[in-house]
Amino acid sequence: MTRRISKYKRFMMMNPIVQFFKFIFLSLKVLVIVAGGHGGTRKA
Amino acid sequence: MAKIVVLGAGIAGHVAASHLRRKLPKEHEVVVVSPNSNYQWIPSNIWVGIGRMKPRDLIFPLAPLYAKKHIDYKQAKAISFYPEGDNDEQKPYVLAEYVTGDEKGKQEKVTYDYLINATGPKLNFEGTEGLSPGKNKAHSVCTYTHAQEAWVALEEVIKQMKQGKKVKILIGTGHAKATCQGAAFEYILNVEQELRRHKVRDMAEITWISNEYQLGDFGMDGMLLSYGSNIMKSNEMVEMVFEDRGIHWILGAGVNKVEDGLAHYETLDGEYKQESYDFAMLIPSFSGHGFKAYDKNGGDITEKLFKGFMIVDADYTPKPYEEWTVQDWPETYQNPSYANIFAPGIAFAPPHGISKPRKSKNGTDITPAPPRTGMPSGITAKLVADNIIEMIKNPNHELHHKGSMGNMGAACIASAGFGMTKGSGISITTYPIVPDFKKYPDTHGRKLGKTFGSIGLAGHWLKLALHYAFIYKAKMKPFWWLIPE
Ligand SMILES: Cc1cc2nc3c(=O)[nH]c(=O)nc-3n(C[C@H](O)[C@H](O)[C@H](O)COP(=O)(O)OP(=O)(O)OC[C@H]3O[C@@H](n4cnc5c(N)ncnc54)[C@H](O)[C@@H]3O)c2cc1C
Repeated sequence: MTRRISKYKRFMMMNPIVQFFKFIFLSLKVLVIVAGGHGGTRKA
Repeated sequence: MAKIVVLGAGIAGHVAASHLRRKLPKEHEVVVVSPNSNYQWIPSNIWVGIGRMKPRDLIFPLAPLYAKKHIDYKQAKAISFYPEGDNDEQKPYVLAEYVTGDEKGKQEKVTYDYLINATGPKLNFEGTEGLSPGKNKAHSVCTYTHAQEAWVALEEVIKQMKQGKKVKILIGTGHAKATCQGAAFEYILNVEQELRRHKVRDMAEITWISNEYQLGDFGMDGMLLSYGSNIMKSNEMVEMVFEDRGIHWILGAGVNKVEDGLAHYETLDGEYKQESYDFAMLIPSFSGHGFKAYDKNGGDITEKLFKGFMIVDADYTPKPYEEWTVQDWPETYQNPSYANIFAPGIAFAPPHGISKPRKSKNGTDITPAPPRTGMPSGITAKLVADNIIEMIKNPNHELHHKGSMGNMGAACIASAGFGMTKGSGISITTYPIVPDFKKYPDTHGRKLGKTFGSIGLAGHWLKLALHYAFIYKAKMKPFWWLIPE
């Protein structure tokens, strides 16, 4: 195992309070991508 | 009055059937033909495969739901397609065979006005010699039964580790052209975390084996992601995670044979190698179901409907990687020969791969096939349903609902470990799924910001929240349709 994630980063990744806000952020971000819609790529 | 037949009740088939039923007046018939009696939320199979969920947590029986919602359900499998009917039957139909009960083996001509083929992939274990779920110590998590068997075997290996045995675990793709690397990626990280939870991590050597050229390719040609305030390549992100978790990797590997505890593979360098293991989970290649199609005189017209998977409005002209464009990808999933046949989800034949194709020095194709994950499967199913509804109202209508994978985003929340406080998830979103190198030439075909990665506990919560949300939606509970695909 090679430490590639610093102790601070790991703390932030696993801290429930920080992650709670991240959860809200991620949910909204995913929603924006879904709500961003979809469509064709060819010209009519 | 129109009759719409949906083949398959997976993510795509079930989404199509439920939207059709909600939006169409009752005089129109919606019929689902599918061999599995249960709906399964496949993404959570990963957690069954590590013993943290039971199959019952992610499945429910379809028959009672469909009865309640006035969807006709036949527990049967489609065998062959007759899009023009035949000499005895004027209407187009699908020949289906019942798979259970008194009717088992009975065949029926299921006629339709509109047909949605959402039969997903055939799990092509036969494509790799010796690869079969539960055989040769190699397992699968592609269905809930496979995942349950995988957990039974893994639990036994964990017991042996607790008694002091050192073991080798091999997880990845079991064929040179397999897809679904994402599922194997989730599984390897979950297994690694479970071994730590059982305090046996130091007894296991864990190896990732994959047909990808680089880590983090995922059959999507890799990604350039925003990661916090940095811009990172997906291979760098996955390498960081694997190194941090002590996972080794073998890349560009086309597994071609599996023996008891031994995987044989060919590398892109043309070498033939072997990797031994005590427990393996190898994703098989996905193929079409081998359906046949006939015209009204019984002539074989399979090539009008199928190219392995079902032919839709894609551009199938063979061309080199450098000439691939997003315009090659389908927009409406309509079969060009029969306007009343559609194939959303995994059932449609992609025009080509997404990852750059590579051959070994011996000429073997070792390239991931293009994935079609849950979100595009649901989105394409819904747009097919919406187009059919418009066609019913106005048969000569142009199809308005379009959704090319070259103009659609996807969110992949990869579980990296289970647990409300110790869990982790790698959340990746991409836009578009198929890179558009003309629109986004400097960012590997994708829009940064909409293509981003994030690692942490929140990813696990999100994946768990999606599990409950999508099962709620699939059960068609109140306001289910407000939950997006
Ligand atoms: C282990 C695993 C984990 C995954 N995790 C994720 C994830 O986290 N996120 C994500 O977005 N995607 C994930 N995926 C991918 C996702 O599951 C697929 O994209 C999705 O299931 C495709 O939906 P589908 O309806 O096209 O096919 P399927 O879900 O495979 O459904 C096909 C349906 O057709 C039926 N059928 C088969 N043969 C016939 C026949 N002859 N006649 C009639 N019906 C038939 C089947 O019984 C089934 O009901 C994962 C896949 C796997 C295997």
